[in-house]
Amino acid sequence: MSANSTAASFIENAPPGELAEVINDIGSLLDLDKLSIQEKVAPAVEKYNKEQFVTTKLPGGSDLVIVSSYNDLGDGRFFDSESSSSFAYDHSAQKASDVQSHPIEGEHASTIKSLLRDVGNHVKEHFPSLPAYGVYPADDGIAILIVGNKYSPSNYWNGRWRSTYIYNPSASTLTGAIAVDVHYYEDGNVRLVTEKKVNENLRSSTASAIATTIGNVEKKYQEELNRAFGALSEGAFKSLRRQLPVTRQKMDWQKASAYKIGQDIGGGSRR
Amino acid sequence: MADPFDSALDLLRRLNPKHITKNLNALIGLVPDLTEDLLSSVDQPLQISKCKRSGREYLLCDYNRDGDSYRSPWSNEFDPPLSDGTVPSEKVRKMEVAANQAFDVYRELYYEGGVSSVYFWNLDDGFAGVVLLKKSSAATSKNTGTWDSIHVFEALDRPRQAHYKLTSTVILNMENTSDAIGTMDLSGNMTRQIEADLPVEDDNSHIVNIGRLVEDMELKMRNLLQEVYFGKAKDVVNDLRSVNSLTEVNRERAAHSDVMSAMLRR
Repeated sequence: MSANSTAASFIENAPPGELAEVINDIGSLLDLDKLSIQEKVAPAVEKYNKEQFVTTKLPGGSDLVIVSSYNDLGDGRFFDSESSSSFAYDHSAQKASDVQSHPIEGEHASTIKSLLRDVGNHVKEHFPSLPAYGVYPADDGIAILIVGNKYSPSNYWNGRWRSTYIYNPSASTLTGAIAVDVHYYEDGNVRLVTEKKVNENLRSSTASAIATTIGNVEKKYQEELNRAFGALSEGAFKSLRRQLPVTRQKMDWQKASAYKIGQDIGGGSRR
Repeated sequence: MADPFDSALDLLRRLNPKHITKNLNALIGLVPDLTEDLLSSVDQPLQISKCKRSGREYLLCDYNRDGDSYRSPWSNEFDPPLSDGTVPSEKVRKMEVAANQAFDVYRELYYEGGVSSVYFWNLDDGFAGVVLLKKSSAATSKNTGTWDSIHVFEALDRPRQAHYKLTSTVILNMENTSDAIGTMDLSGNMTRQIEADLPVEDDNSHIVNIGRLVEDMELKMRNLLQEVYFGKAKDVVNDLRSVNSLTEVNRERAAHSDVMSAMLRR
């Protein structure tokens, strides 16, 4: 593997909120200064930002807006439907600039507007930490993105929830995926990575019905996930190693070693 | 600029631990100078091999490796064979044999299956060793897991006692796949260290002391893993998204604090 593709694979693996540290580490390994390493990994960072729905504030704005492939205008510019504006995004500095007017037009414009309101309400009610959402025209309908991040590096953990939905008006379906990524790294490195595909037939195609469906799908998934932690703990985890032997007593090492020590191991000692 | 070795370890603490072996190999490809340091300090899931002499399974790690060959704890022989492979002294090998038998009992008591291997080597002022345990859950289940324990210790001679230094790592990878859950991967590793001075009467005492240290450490680590994997990780998910609406949550919180302040006023 070339140095570039190795660096790219590390960046693709970066946990929520730790991209800068991962880039620093790669820079130190390759003996490159800050500017050189940023330049080297720029394409991988752009890909990471778009896949992870990195959020940014527009100059003068207070809400977080998403950077993704769904609102990519090319040439480093992205658009935000809520504020009807486009902006330049610097992937290395993680900063937005040069805001211009970008009205949403086309056949889905009014649906997008209603969805922004209803999905926005859903996000306000269920994503308490660094929430952002976006509704954008897509190839076969409308893309709805939701992201929530919580960063707590002083306590050695970070997390991200991403929802991606495509509303297809002609098929009246909502498809996509929910992905959760949690990193815990105090005296270790523990990672939760989940993905759940979404495939719903819509009974009604109003914006509020779509937002309700999203709410139901996410609630059901979150409850399933909470149960799955219990199932793993009670199932796989217990079957791997007992907390105590069947006797409920710790091992008698004196007996085990006194009985066994010095005994020739060759051949027939298998119990 | 940071030391490259420290940067490599920091990176491995951040990248998905599920892919530790792949990431470690990629790192070595990137900075070949770090190969020996990384291989001797980064724990990876253990590989299993079968002892040609005894037919028993044993575990492979950097401590029973010599070149491309691995030493079986059951036969003391290298595979592929080496005429001049590094083996412990006769005295230390005798303890190694006893430790393998004792930890075989321990493995059956706590793991009810799996594979264990213990490797000892000589030090100028004592000896050192590694206790390895590995267990995988049945592959038929949709709810699967693998546990790898790697306990590296030093036993340094003191008058009538020994100074033990133990560094323990558990690698625990778990996966849950179903229609309702999609894929859920919960993987990682945690490391803890302790030191202790314990009385030593004879070589037998070492087996007892190391056995108890490892047993206590595994109990502690099992509790810690339970807390982090099924407590902390779950809490973070529910910090990211609230099942109940935040308006409701805040209303309840306000009502609760009203009750609290009313009680405090009494």
